[in-house]
Amino acid sequence: MDNFKNNITNQNTSLNTGKLDTLFSEIPSVKEVRASLLKRTAGDKYIWGIVILLALISVLVVYSATGSLAYKMNKGNNEIYLFKQLAFMVMGMLIIYFLHRINYTIYSKVATILFLISIPLLIYTLFFGAKINDGSRWIKLPIINMTFQTSDFAKLALFMYLSKVLSKKQEFIKDFKKGFIPAVIPVLIICALIMPANLSNALLTGATSLVLMFIGRVSLKHIFLLIGVALIPIAIIVSVAVLTHNKKAEKVDAASISTEKTISIGRFGTWVKRVQDFVYAKDKEVPFQVQQAKIAIANGGVLMGLGPGNSRQKNFLPQAYNDFIYSIIIEEYGLLGGAFIVFIYLLFLFRCINIFRRCPYAFGAFLALGLSFTLVIQATANMAVNVNIVPVTGVTLPLVSMGGSSFLFTCASIGIILSVARNVEITEGKIPAVIEEDVVENNSNNNNVPNVSAAM
Amino acid sequence: MDIKRDILWRVYLSYILVAAVGVFVIAKATYIQQVQGSHWRSMSDSLHVRLQEIDAERGTIFSEDGEMLSTSIPQFDVSIDFAAEGLREKNGKRFKENIDSLSWCLSNLFKDNSANSYKKILQEGYNSKDRNFLLRKKITYTEYQEMNKFPLLRQGKYKSGFKFEQKDIRLNPYQSLAFRTIGLARDSFKVGLEMAYDSVLKGRSGSRLVRYIAGGVSVPVEDALETEAENGKDIVTTLDVFIQEVTENALMKMLVSNEAQHGCVIVMETKTGKVKAIANLGRGSDGAYHEDYNYAINATEPGSTFKLVTLMSLLEDKKVSLNQIVNVQNGVWQVAGQTVYDDDDMKGKTDLTVKQAFELSSNVGMAKLAIAGYSNNPSQFFHHIKKFRMDTLTGIDLTGERKPVIIRPGNKLWGPTTLPWMAFGYNLQVTPLQTITLYNAVANNGTMMHPYLVNSINEQGINVKKFQPKIVDEKICSDETLKLIKQCLEGVCTEGTARKLFIGSPYKVAAKTGTALMANGSRGYTDQIFQSSFVGYFPVENPQYTISVVIVNKPHVANHFGASVAGPVFKEIADRLYATKVIENNSKPNNEKRDSSFFKYAGYRTDVKQVMQQLNLKYKDSSTVTNDWANITATAGHIVLNNKNIETNKMPLLKGLGLKDAVNICENDLGLKLNIKGKGKVIEQSIAAGLPVAKGQVINIYLN
Repeated sequence: MDNFKNNITNQNTSLNTGKLDTLFSEIPSVKEVRASLLKRTAGDKYIWGIVILLALISVLVVYSATGSLAYKMNKGNNEIYLFKQLAFMVMGMLIIYFLHRINYTIYSKVATILFLISIPLLIYTLFFGAKINDGSRWIKLPIINMTFQTSDFAKLALFMYLSKVLSKKQEFIKDFKKGFIPAVIPVLIICALIMPANLSNALLTGATSLVLMFIGRVSLKHIFLLIGVALIPIAIIVSVAVLTHNKKAEKVDAASISTEKTISIGRFGTWVKRVQDFVYAKDKEVPFQVQQAKIAIANGGVLMGLGPGNSRQKNFLPQAYNDFIYSIIIEEYGLLGGAFIVFIYLLFLFRCINIFRRCPYAFGAFLALGLSFTLVIQATANMAVNVNIVPVTGVTLPLVSMGGSSFLFTCASIGIILSVARNVEITEGKIPAVIEEDVVENNSNNNNVPNVSAAM
Repeated sequence: MDIKRDILWRVYLSYILVAAVGVFVIAKATYIQQVQGSHWRSMSDSLHVRLQEIDAERGTIFSEDGEMLSTSIPQFDVSIDFAAEGLREKNGKRFKENIDSLSWCLSNLFKDNSANSYKKILQEGYNSKDRNFLLRKKITYTEYQEMNKFPLLRQGKYKSGFKFEQKDIRLNPYQSLAFRTIGLARDSFKVGLEMAYDSVLKGRSGSRLVRYIAGGVSVPVEDALETEAENGKDIVTTLDVFIQEVTENALMKMLVSNEAQHGCVIVMETKTGKVKAIANLGRGSDGAYHEDYNYAINATEPGSTFKLVTLMSLLEDKKVSLNQIVNVQNGVWQVAGQTVYDDDDMKGKTDLTVKQAFELSSNVGMAKLAIAGYSNNPSQFFHHIKKFRMDTLTGIDLTGERKPVIIRPGNKLWGPTTLPWMAFGYNLQVTPLQTITLYNAVANNGTMMHPYLVNSINEQGINVKKFQPKIVDEKICSDETLKLIKQCLEGVCTEGTARKLFIGSPYKVAAKTGTALMANGSRGYTDQIFQSSFVGYFPVENPQYTISVVIVNKPHVANHFGASVAGPVFKEIADRLYATKVIENNSKPNNEKRDSSFFKYAGYRTDVKQVMQQLNLKYKDSSTVTNDWANITATAGHIVLNNKNIETNKMPLLKGLGLKDAVNICENDLGLKLNIKGKGKVIEQSIAAGLPVAKGQVINIYLN
């Protein structure tokens, strides 16, 4: 892309002067190239800053938290994980950069395609995926030999698609058939496919979708109806959990194992167990992870934690570098550090709302809102798990947890958000048209996007 | 604008909700940290922090000449965690790749199983998924180091699953040598020096607070109170490996040939009271002899060796003179309704001098003298027993010393036969160590030395405590008594019971024999078990060593006399000591003179002549016969070449010979087996010059 643009500028100058060769003075210096790269890096500067800040925090904490993993797997060679994480960082940044350079209107078409791909992918995963803790969540990409969680992909596709549907159906959004049904069907499909392997993720996806639908002006009546329907399976699980727990308390261990067996259809047993763990947790029965996470939180002070790299619980807390990284952050950087992370995510969301406000186009506006809310809801969910507000679920802290497919998909979300932001800046005339002419051209040629501001 | 505004309030409402969750998260974290904090932190400590004991290394027991007698060495038990992640990952790829080479290496190292059977063992373990599969116990440190280089093990414990558990064990490099005295450092109960000096040897184990981290590895907690383990100190004993070896061999030989029950020998350095060797051998159920019990500190009826006490008391109180006549009545004497018997060789003997009665060990004579001297005032006799410290522990630095049993006059057990029987060593029990301590006092001109086993306590080679010889009693008797009693003891070896033993001996011995019929529990004296003993010192002119030999024979054995059972053991030890230690001690002053006009060398005749020629020294050849060997002696510049006679059945003096000549003489001429230490000229030989030698005998020589 860079070369391509340089060619364009070079061609222009050559044409103007009528020369066939270029003068040295005409070749842009390194400084200029850097400047032009900076100019090309558009979108909200705060969001860029937040992304880089979180990435730096991630490198620090992941490096610390992988210590015990490194000890177990690589004879204490921590740097393996550091470089892995740095590699993910670079990959993530490249994804953000390239996605934000693309005109977001293309994502409208892409969203539909991705959504259609995600359905067979989830079905494939359900039957042939790699199993971890009884749940088939992962598939292995054949060429680059990387496992990734298909639900991460499906979620991104779903939220993009949902943004598209909500923006398109604004005229008759309050209508059940014309507005609600087209919005809710894709959500139900994806959640149903994720649920068998990962209930908590399905619930989180459903809840996020509900928030997006609420923002997208879907009738509250319809939303509550949906919540009512969704509560049925949850109510079943909770009631089973309560009932079997009572039995458990009366019978000896052996019997409880057998009841566990009878109720374990797929991952049903695990869900029941988790709910039981959460509801009936006494001090000593607290699940190991929760116990260790709480110890980690208790180890950190208010202002000062144990200091970078000094976490003790990283050695005991399973997934310290992943799902439970927030506990490690509090342990090493104190409550202040923990609050700072919350603040950063809220700031990120605030900036995204700002984009929404400035964005004149409906799809772009919804895209920015949908993806940012998803990301921040996931972050708060993760933190809520860490401080034991909700039961243990396998959700990562976006951008901070150790790299993996979810990290890259998060980067993709951010890239798309920044793409919208960049467009907003172009329409507001903050970016010189010369550099952006190709984009502007594309933009003006695009008739697919309804002009919301015109309608307003 | 309506639509966007409608959306905007929804957005803000959602934002507030998200922010509220965020605030709740922080609030909950604060609650966990500030309200429940101490609970969780203490749980953390209880889960991951332990007070770990740091073992102290047990000290080493050294002999006086610096040999290790007992030391701690590490041993390892090898087990395998077959469920180790690294071992099983990728369907056991790592295990399968390495099993063949590993089996081969194991078989090659331990040589007890073929590579195939090792492979089978490992495969079985792998199939069982045993987390603690014991492969081998007690491998040495060298084997441990070797094993760590093996395939699979090289990859570390997480990948191989191999675990080594270190255990320190106590090793006696000289095995059974003075085993009982050195003792055992068992956990259950210790004996010997290990027990007596346990508090010194064991050190103090330290402790530290450790935090367990990944993989069962623990790291010390910083800033926590840590007490370092204080390693045990070493003790240097007075024992001499060479003397101990000689002693044990001599005792063993006699015990085996006489099938005796058990025996005990103590060798004491006369001037200091140092115990140089202590051997305790008992016959096991398998017929072999082991160091099984410390007989040296166990009290028994001493028999005739106790007559020293009787005679010394009588002499000290001037109740007898050596030339006084005592009637031994053919060895049978009735007293207080009981009969005192003597050995058969007293038959036909009546009037003997007191000296003779002592030298020939007449029970009747001693009993009569005691009755004559002390029947009116037995306390006077008891006073001497007390003075000679026969009624009390010697206080040697060994635990378990048994108390002697002496009946005091006035005690209800005291009867009319008590005194006469005590006079020849019955009706009382003393330990061999007490007896030797008394004899040593006589040898040491009446100064009784405290017997001891430990020279010093060392810490990392640095002396922290030194034990000096301790005088128990400056003078146990008058010089007059001492002179007389010494004459009697010498007489035993020249005219008395031991007269045959030392014929032709290059040194003079003063000693007393003892042959005591032993009570065998409830069976009394009917089993005819004799305790043969021999206690004495040598050389008489300047006593260096005091030796006590006590052997308990099997029932009804014909050869049970002190002079014929215990005596030869004494002589063998004394011979070896005389050759190696005594001569050396006596000749030291001469060595210090370094004057080229005085010298004495010996060697192959032609070689000697050649050297003299080369050095252009004039000498006078006064050889009477021309044989292979020659002495060359210079006295004030006057050099004389003389013939050196080598007899094939007598040990020649090797001193001053070079190694080549010494080997030639010992191996070619005499047919001896030679052990050589050091280099230079011969300075010491283990068989003294003049002693008879037989082909195949072993001789040690020391060169310098």
